[in-house]
Amino acid sequence: MSGNLERRYRRVLRLLPGWYREQWEEDMVAAFLDSWLTGDPQADEYITKAAGPSWAEVASVAALAARLYLSGAGAPRRFAWGQAIRWAVLAVTLVEAARGLDALLLTSWSRHLLGWLPAAPASLVVSVPGGPWPPAVWYLVSYAWVVVFVTLVLRYYRTAQVIAALAIVPDLVQLLVGQFGARFLSAPVGPWAFWALLDLAPVLAMTAFHRNAPLAAPGRWLLALPATYVLVYLPLVALQATGNSSWLPDFSGLYCLLAAMACVAHAPRAWSRQAAGSGVWSLALVLLAADAGAYRIFSIADYLHDPHLITVCLAELFILLAAVALVAPDAARTARTAAPAPPPYPDTMAA
Amino acid sequence: MTGQAFFVLTALADGPRHGYGIVGEVAELSGGRVKLKIGSLYGVLERLAGEGLIEPDREEAHDGRLRRYYRLTRDGRGALAEEAELRAATARVVRARLRVAGTEATG
Repeated sequence: MSGNLERRYRRVLRLLPGWYREQWEEDMVAAFLDSWLTGDPQADEYITKAAGPSWAEVASVAALAARLYLSGAGAPRRFAWGQAIRWAVLAVTLVEAARGLDALLLTSWSRHLLGWLPAAPASLVVSVPGGPWPPAVWYLVSYAWVVVFVTLVLRYYRTAQVIAALAIVPDLVQLLVGQFGARFLSAPVGPWAFWALLDLAPVLAMTAFHRNAPLAAPGRWLLALPATYVLVYLPLVALQATGNSSWLPDFSGLYCLLAAMACVAHAPRAWSRQAAGSGVWSLALVLLAADAGAYRIFSIADYLHDPHLITVCLAELFILLAAVALVAPDAARTARTAAPAPPPYPDTMAA
Repeated sequence: MTGQAFFVLTALADGPRHGYGIVGEVAELSGGRVKLKIGSLYGVLERLAGEGLIEPDREEAHDGRLRRYYRLTRDGRGALAEEAELRAATARVVRARLRVAGTEATG
């Protein structure tokens, strides 16, 4: 009876992801046919031959399909990737935010805004690059990452995306001016790699944040910012202040070491595979390590004149690789199979 | 909570309904202003089920097809009551302000 009409509607439903159709298609078809069929055999026979889904109906299915594909909600494996990307982005913005916090505090100190502290040593004065932008722009860009991180954690995703997108513009302009202003003679790889991997990549990956994306324990993420500052940047400031800056890694090296430490800290959970979300965390750390490793590899090009620095860079890469090997098997397993994600709807619905 | 989700939850407040039953009830509740397409309805149902606000009730055969009925969960009932209270409070504020504005305009 409902042959042609049903067939046309099922064709439209092919727009939806397979996992979604498995659970909802029959119900949608039943509701759709209910909306057309009258119970009068003659009228229904005519309807099933002549009628089809309206454009508005097709548009509603297309909109649903777009949301499901883009959000990654529902399908366990897609959820795992989406969640891993979100955590990796949060981790990168955490590193950038801690760096911004460091710049903010050092600037305040060197400008005597922290009256209770003695004058800041000259080695701690924050320098800003020259070029087309006034220093205020660079300060704002540094501090913007603190705002981006906090707004992301508080789930003001659109605000975070807009601020982050604006924050990476001055760096890009600076790079382009440097590149073309010097008629291609000055083309340092490191700054471009920084812009691509630590500015552009997180901004693009922020599209993985959406209102259906669960972000557990925002309080812990917020606490991670002062904790990262105190545990990572404060010791570095102390080394700088005491004239031991030759021991300091560059930012790329620091990023590698932080990613490596995170992998080592997570390794016991990755091995036990008992903690909830462990596999997704492993995946997120592998993504983070890939970003850090790529940045380290590209930025080595800036040290080609110094064999000692190249050795240091390679050592940092080796540490990172060794650490990531601890969580990589768990990450690979999670990427291949379903992740421990919350089901999209109760199991009873998978009838 | 979106307007559509609010209407769908309201449609289920007095008992379980199947997909097309919800569409009809929402149209009636909204005085014909909200006419849910099936794709939109199942987008809303999927979200509400994911948030634990609705759940399947039963399936019934009808003209050779299975109709799945949905019902509110306890969380769904609570969320609906909270939203209704919020909307009522907002409406009270709006009415009060309109009254004040009307008094000022006529006075």
